[in-house]
Parts: sequence; C-alpha cells; structure tokens
Amino acid sequence: MSTFSGLNTATTALWAQQRGLDVSGQNIANVNTVGYSRQRAELQSISGTPVPAMYATSSQVGQGVDADKVIRIRDAFLESRAQAESATSARLTVAQETLAQIEQAFREPGDTGIQAKMTAVYTAWSDVANHPTEDGARTAVLQKTATLVAELHTTSANLDEQWTQTRDSLDVLAQDVNAKASSIADLNTAIKRATLSGQPVNELSDKRDVLVLELSAAIGAASSPGENGQVDVVVGGATLISGGSAMGLQVVGTRKPGEAAPGNPSFVTAPGGTPLTLGGTAGAKLTALSDTIPGYQASLDQVAQQVAAEFNEAQATGVDKNGAVGAAMFDDGAGGAAITAANLNLRIKDTDLLAAAALTTQGQPTSDNTNAKATAALQTKSDGAVVGYRKLIVSLGVEAAVATSSLATQAVVSSQVDASRESVSGVNLDEEMTNMLQFQHAYSAAARLITTIDETLDVLINRTGRVGL
Amino acid sequence: MRVTQRSIALTSLQGLNRNQEAVAKLQQQLTSGRSISKPSDDPTGTNAAMQTRQEIAGAKQYARNISDGMSQLDATDSALQSMVTQLHRVRALTLQGANAGAMSDASRAAISTEVAGIRDSLLALANTTVQGQPIFGGVTSGPTAYDPTTGTYQGVGGAAGASFPVTRQVSDTDSVRIDVTGPEAFGESTSTSRDLFQLVGDIADHAVSDPGSLAGDLDGLDEALDRLLGAASDIGTRTNRMETAQQVNSDLQLTLTSRSADIENVDLAKTIMYLNMQQTSYEAALSATAKVIQPTLADFLR
Repeated sequence: MSTFSGLNTATTALWAQQRGLDVSGQNIANVNTVGYSRQRAELQSISGTPVPAMYATSSQVGQGVDADKVIRIRDAFLESRAQAESATSARLTVAQETLAQIEQAFREPGDTGIQAKMTAVYTAWSDVANHPTEDGARTAVLQKTATLVAELHTTSANLDEQWTQTRDSLDVLAQDVNAKASSIADLNTAIKRATLSGQPVNELSDKRDVLVLELSAAIGAASSPGENGQVDVVVGGATLISGGSAMGLQVVGTRKPGEAAPGNPSFVTAPGGTPLTLGGTAGAKLTALSDTIPGYQASLDQVAQQVAAEFNEAQATGVDKNGAVGAAMFDDGAGGAAITAANLNLRIKDTDLLAAAALTTQGQPTSDNTNAKATAALQTKSDGAVVGYRKLIVSLGVEAAVATSSLATQAVVSSQVDASRESVSGVNLDEEMTNMLQFQHAYSAAARLITTIDETLDVLINRTGRVGL
Repeated sequence: MRVTQRSIALTSLQGLNRNQEAVAKLQQQLTSGRSISKPSDDPTGTNAAMQTRQEIAGAKQYARNISDGMSQLDATDSALQSMVTQLHRVRALTLQGANAGAMSDASRAAISTEVAGIRDSLLALANTTVQGQPIFGGVTSGPTAYDPTTGTYQGVGGAAGASFPVTRQVSDTDSVRIDVTGPEAFGESTSTSRDLFQLVGDIADHAVSDPGSLAGDLDGLDEALDRLLGAASDIGTRTNRMETAQQVNSDLQLTLTSRSADIENVDLAKTIMYLNMQQTSYEAALSATAKVIQPTLADFLR
C-alpha cells in the first residue's frame, strides 16, 4: 500500500461515477427508442493484491472500483417468447384480414348481395306463374336471372382479385425478408469483430434484435444465440442466418387463382430450392392463397352449380310458350356443364323459351302455370341453392368471428409479453434520475476524498518535521 | 413489476385505442341503424336475418299472388252474377213465349229477338278477360273462351273439372284455384245435352218456330241457372279462402318484419346508453393518461 494509492482509488471512483452518469445519459437519450435495452455500468470493486510480494505488507484494502463493462439488461427467455408471439400475432392478423375481405366480397346480409338477387329471380318466376303468357313477366325473369349471373361473376372476380393481390404481396415480402436477413448477417459480422476486439456491442445488438423480431413477424423465424454475441436464425427447421452468412428466400408457384393448391405457391430457399414451412405473415398468406380463398371460391362455384342445376331441371320438367319442352337455362359459356361462378352463362335469351306450363301440355301452347309455380317454389326447397348459399355465408361468418376473437386474445397475450419485456429492458426516467443523484453524490464524495488526501499529504509533506521552525 | 414511462405510454395507447374502437363500433351501429353489418358480427343472427329476409320476400310475393287472384275471382263473380240476372229475364221471356196461342207472331218475333240479343250478351260475358286471359277459358292461350258467333267452346278443360286448373300460390303450402272453366259454369254441348248458349239460342229459335218445345227448354234453363248459381257460390267460397289467406299473410308480414328488425336493427335505447357509457370511460381513460404521463421525478428535483 503506497502513500498515494488513496489518490488512485479516488481517481477510479471519479472515473466510474463519470461513466455511470454517461450510461444514464445514454439511457435517457434512448427512452423512446424502439428496441433499445437499458444499459448499466457494471461497477466492480478492485481487490487488493491477492498474492503479496515477499516482505510486502497487504493492508487488505481494495484498490478502488472498475467500471469497464457496460451491459444491456434483457431477458433472453422473454425475447424468444416475443418472437413466437409476434409470429402468431402476424399470422392471425393476416388470417383475420383475409376473411374480412372475403366478407366484403359477399356483402351479406343486405339488399345488394347474391341472396337478394336470388330472391328476385324466384319472385319474378312467381309473377310468371300469375301471368304465364305475359311477356313483361317473362322478360323480368330473364333480366333478374342475368343480374344474378352478373352478381355471381362479380363476387367470383372479387375473390380472384384478392388472391392475385395476396400473391403479388408475397414477392414484396420475400424481398423484404431477404434484405432484413442480409442486414442481420452484416450486423452479426460487425458484432463478432467488435466483441473480439473488446468494443461495446450493445447498440449493434439492439439493432439486430429488432430486425430479428421483424423477421419473426414476417416469416415466423426464431433465433438462438451463437458465438461471440452473434445469433443464428432458424425458420421452419432450416437455418436462414448462420453467423455472418444469410440464405435467401424466394416465392415459387402459380400466379393463377385457379391453380392454387396446398404447397403451390410456396417459399423455397435460394439457392437450393428447398421448400420451407413458414409462419407469421408469410405463412398466413400462403394459407389464404392455398386454402381460404380457393375454399370460398369453390363454395361459390358450388352455389352457381346448384343454381344452374336447379333451374335447368325445372326447365326440363315444363313446357315453354311454344309448346316445346323447356331448354336448359344455364351452361358454362361453351355449351358444357363444367359450371363455375365465373363462367355461369344464361343461355336463354328468348322469353318464349321459359317453361311455365306443365310437361303434360307438351305440343299444345297453353297459359298453364304449373311449372312456373314449381320453379318459384324452389326457393323454399330445404336443400336448394338459397339454403346452400346461406350455409356458405354462415360458415364464413363463423370462421371470421373465430379469427377475430383469436386475434383479440392474441393481442392480449402479445401485449402482456411486450409489457414484460418493457418492464425488464425499458428505461424508467425516475430510476435514471435516482441513479444520476447517486452518481453525483458518489462523484462529490470521491472528489472530497481527493481533497482530504491532499490535505493529509499537505500535513505530511509541508508541516511534518518542522517543529520549532 | 418494473414499470417504465414507455410501458405506461404503450398501455395507455392500447387502452385508448380499445376505447375508441368500441366507440367507433357503437357509432357505426347507430349511424347505420344495423347491428349486423357483416356475417362475423353475429353468424347465428346472420342466418336468421337472411332466412327472414327471404321469408319476407316470399310473403310479399304471396300477397301479390293473392290480390291478383282476388281480382280474377271478383271478375268471375260479377260476370256470373250478371249472367244470372240475364238468365232470369230469359226465363221470364220463355214463360211468356210458352203461353201458347195468346201471342201474335210479332210478339213472338220480339221475344225471339230479345232472347237472341241476350245470348250475344251472355257470350260476351263468357269471354270476359282479365289482363288478356279469358277467365272462363281455362289455360287456353287463345283470346276467347267461346267463339263469339257460333258459341263453340274454345278453352281448355271440361265439365268434369279442369285438368290444368289455374291456381295462385297463397302461402308456402297452400294454393287456391281461381278459375272456373266454361263447361263447368255453363254446361257442355254434347249429343244429349246443350250448353247455356246453345239452349238460349234454341229458345230464341223455338219462340218463333216451335213454341211447344219451349216447356222442355224451360227445364233446361232451370238446370242451367242452378249450374250457374253453383259456380257462383263456388267462386264465393274461394274468395273467402283468399280473404282468409290475405289476413294470414298480412299478419305474417308484420311478424316477419318485426322479427327482422329485432335481429338486424340496433336497439336504439340500449346502443345510445352503451355509447354514453363508453364515452364516459373513454374520457376517464384520456384524463387518467394525461395525469399519469406528464410528471417525472424531474418535476420535483431541483
């Protein structure tokens, strides 16, 4: 223990408190920065010489304080939960938006949807039943039917458009993911270098972790700690980022709504072309493309087929105004029976061809209304097109309601996780103020220590041995 | 739990958002007047709403069918009634003509002319049309039920009843026949029987040529009158059925409309009350946020 070691101790104290103030300053500066983890100067006492030299006497007093290390305060478990929850949130959000958009395409319940137009057709048939030979009533049937066909076409086209838009957004998503992955790889490299040369990496790590979280939301990626402060990012069982190297993603598969199937379109690695199972936004969009939208499109096609079958059968059991057996009302536009909501075509253009009379009047034109009545009564058929369509809407409603409530539940879970993360790594201004006071006082005390030592040394150097002078 | 300024701000923002969302939802319900604007708002309600809408459309259509059928029944009834009146006149004239020797040839000719005139008017009544459709012609697609000069039946359907009755659907399950064919109301001309028009034509002839057979014609006339009255009362019964159906239908429409309103429309009192409650809690959240976010330790340190 040398004479001046006290001064040295005080200097380390001054320096450490100064550093503490600096860190507080950094924390306060970043109180509103997204992804910033609060930092703390790790103060550590410097012990006295553990193995004293021969003949040296150790006073057992330490050598001051060390404040070399500044650490980020964060909870790795909460971070990985945040990644999982943000992937789930993103997935449910997209699923809910998809269904909400499908609901808009159908516009039910209301006066403008397919149901209202179906009802109008049956009503028009009922008017034909009242006045079987009147051309006005017959024209109304053709016009209302044409309106129904147009509505089916529009709804089907809306679903197709939604599919195409979603498909296009996947390409943008892939680009975005690739950009983020390469940024993460770059940051990993920088962090490795800095760590190896003993530089602080807190800010770099924060920046990288924000990107990883965004990647989790986009594709459901998860991270695991690697060497030298780096992280590896894994998605769907494949390693996307390993240290400083990132693999690319690309979207492959059809661009036509009609060709969509599970696994087509899909994400694959580039290069390599290995198929990936993704979560998050990308996963939900793939589900929308391969399952949700085609599913509702198929249900709509079924309604169109049911409408066509119902009216074609009804026509075949009746006789038209000329006394001939009724011709089929609908085909697929090419004369065939491969009917979808998009190609449903009203074949009959002549009002005389609507079969209003009973089949037994064949060959003799009459004003019988038996078949028109039967056609109008189809709307109360328990397994008719109207009921089929209503089932479609109700199941859409149920699915959308479930998606909305799962999203609401997930929002609560996510916000709880976010609150927990914030509670660990967020900056609290009151705390920083208190820390500032602590450091300030400690700094003053260290300064006072120097003054005191200075005074004692003054006594020792200037006044000792001067007795009698 | 450690709380930070940012977490308070985030939580406040979330709470405010939630409040605002609820206010917006209620406001949207109030301004649109509808509690179900998309299927997911209430899937069960959507099902009921769609079903009710369809039933309302059906009930409205049945109401149209009923009033259409009623107009034809009324036309038929008034044609039959006026025919009955005219037949009474024919009967009186026939009786007069049958009073053998007391009449001059001129009087007989006069009776004959009047009866022939009445026959034409009866034929015209039998050819009454409603919206172009002859009401006694069954499901004929032609313009008349009887040939205006010869009086031959041109419609579809015989005295035994129509094979193709003209009916109107008055409810999901019930349909009412609204026509009576010519042979049903006026009889059929066969080798053994004469229909109304042939009979009246014969009377006109017999009044001049063969007054002796007028007594036989009188029996035929009574038969024809009975048949006409029978047809008229049949029409009356069916009109009653229609009226009942109309009553039932308008009740049904009322029920359905109020059911539809119950399902789809907002309960104004309830929604406005909810809106007020929600607004109060929104304002409370706002003022709490203002109080919590503002102060820090810096305000109290010098």
